[in-house]
Amino acid sequence: MAGAGLPGQGAEPVIRLREIHKQYDAGESEVHALRGVSLSIAQGEYAAIMGPSGSGKSTLMHIVGLLDVPTSGDYFLAGEEVSDMTGWSLARVRNKRIGFIFQAYNLLPRASILRNVELPMMYAGVSRAQRRERASALLARLGLGDRLKHVPSQLSGGQRQRVAIARALANNPAIVLADEPTGNLDSRTGEEILEIFDDLNRQGHTIILVTHDHAVASRAHRTITLVDGQVVKAQAA
Amino acid sequence: MTLLESVVDGVTDIRAHKGRTALQAVGVILGVASVVTVLALVDAGRRKSLEFMDTIGGLRKVLVVNEPARETTRTARQLANVGLTFDDAAALRGLPMVTQVDPIANERLLVRRGDYQKEMHIDGVTPDYQAIYRFYPGRGRFVSSDDLLHATRVVVLGDTAAREIFGSEEPLGRTLFIGDVGMTVVGVMQRKEYLFNNGTFNALEWMNRKVIVPLTTVHKRFTGDPERRVAFINAMIDKAENIPKAKAEIEALVRRRHYGEKDFAVWDRASRLEQQQQQSQQLHIVFLAAGAVSLLVGGIVIMNILLASFQERVREVGVRKALGANGLHITAQFLVESVLVTLLGGAAGLALGTGFARAVSGMLDQPAVITPSMALIGFITSVSVGIFFGLYPAVKAARLSPVQALRCE
Repeated sequence: MAGAGLPGQGAEPVIRLREIHKQYDAGESEVHALRGVSLSIAQGEYAAIMGPSGSGKSTLMHIVGLLDVPTSGDYFLAGEEVSDMTGWSLARVRNKRIGFIFQAYNLLPRASILRNVELPMMYAGVSRAQRRERASALLARLGLGDRLKHVPSQLSGGQRQRVAIARALANNPAIVLADEPTGNLDSRTGEEILEIFDDLNRQGHTIILVTHDHAVASRAHRTITLVDGQVVKAQAA
Repeated sequence: MTLLESVVDGVTDIRAHKGRTALQAVGVILGVASVVTVLALVDAGRRKSLEFMDTIGGLRKVLVVNEPARETTRTARQLANVGLTFDDAAALRGLPMVTQVDPIANERLLVRRGDYQKEMHIDGVTPDYQAIYRFYPGRGRFVSSDDLLHATRVVVLGDTAAREIFGSEEPLGRTLFIGDVGMTVVGVMQRKEYLFNNGTFNALEWMNRKVIVPLTTVHKRFTGDPERRVAFINAMIDKAENIPKAKAEIEALVRRRHYGEKDFAVWDRASRLEQQQQQSQQLHIVFLAAGAVSLLVGGIVIMNILLASFQERVREVGVRKALGANGLHITAQFLVESVLVTLLGGAAGLALGTGFARAVSGMLDQPAVITPSMALIGFITSVSVGIFFGLYPAVKAARLSPVQALRCE
């Protein structure tokens, strides 16, 4: 499989998709959401996935994020074949390799933000003391060091998204996957969040951002555009 | 994720939904309360009857009674037998497991003393009577083996009988007439009391009415019975576990003495107590069934509420799965919640049941005690309900596909 990635990349990419298809049963008709998607994303890259609604970008993100499994095709994540994994193995890989950031933050509403950030480490079996230390450090790094005991409803939207970013980074994942991370924020706060992404990327994190907003996508080094379940453009910005 | 952390999460959830939790717990509270009440009352009742049995001689007592053949035409052998006699009792003394034997003859005779005159039951007994009934003289003495040997004209009175016959006079040393025989009062028994009904009813008053004479005196002076017949024979067995064996030996011995005829019966208290308890068990089963129904309903309520609150938690399950929770983490989270609710309900039910049992046990004159084993039963029951009825929603949550769960609004 060597050489299947994009030209100019020597090392094994973090994500390598080959001929990914996804079909759904939608009542009587069958929806073909992805029709043979192949792409590679290198370690340290900052990529945006764009496309109109119904183009399959959400499905692609779910498959990349291991929330869904492809109907056919191969998926290598950090060198590991994950396309035919199920249940428990998927949960483990999701936990260690992927950090999710959602449009609606999806924080646990009744838990403190410290506990929210600790959650992925809890599922990973990290000891209590280590968890606490790392979660506090992450939140401090994102400017929330003085609110560890707050619950999400006590924070603004931008602050909540920063908690979500801290949570995504908790297990030091191979990729950070953000789905419309600025969709619920005003433009100034959105800008702040995007600056954090720039920062994270500079520090070496691989970031994949799903958006329909060109301005947001332009921050990435590379844009992958999907139409009708196929990659029409995979270009460096 | 450790169990402790699941519990912490569960407690957070429960505290956030107090109303929902209370609703879920009600069924379990009532169920456990009713089960615990029944257990406590059964236990109190059992202790009450054991205590009662103990005051009149305990459970090691075996009774040999006459039970003549029912046939209208009797065989010569049956006719030849005269029933239980003093000599049968003497023979029983030889059995190794029998510690005390007391044959009793019962006669209804006129008792006179001055103006007082009344037909009374007279018991002819032996010295072992005291130990067998745990009934001892308060003043004076009891029938002695010397009295038995010489068929002396002495009488021992129960406390009530003494008062009735002698009023305020001191009965010791006085004479009264039984039939035509003048008898000297040598002893007055201690009072026997076992109060029921808040002290208004003495179940042992019949013992205080006793008029007791040596058994041989009955035969020699009152009835003139050369066969020395007795109404029944009490035998004390050395150990409770020997009772079945001793019963068999007694039966074999008496049967041999009665030329193979079984014209008597051997009863023991332990099996009678058991019969009695089996009867009252039917009542307990009704209560326990009510408890079981409450627990079932409580369990179904818990399951329904878990399922109803499911929708609002689907998204949370999706998020947790996206963060790396596996099926076991999710199952544990849901199960911990239902088990916590039922444990809470179980504890409240235990408290409520204790209250119920206390209230009802007033009628028994016996404090109902919740023993650790009852508490354990209550807790095990409630946790089982929690696990059983929490399992379906928990597994259902664990099986959710993360994509579908996250899409749920």
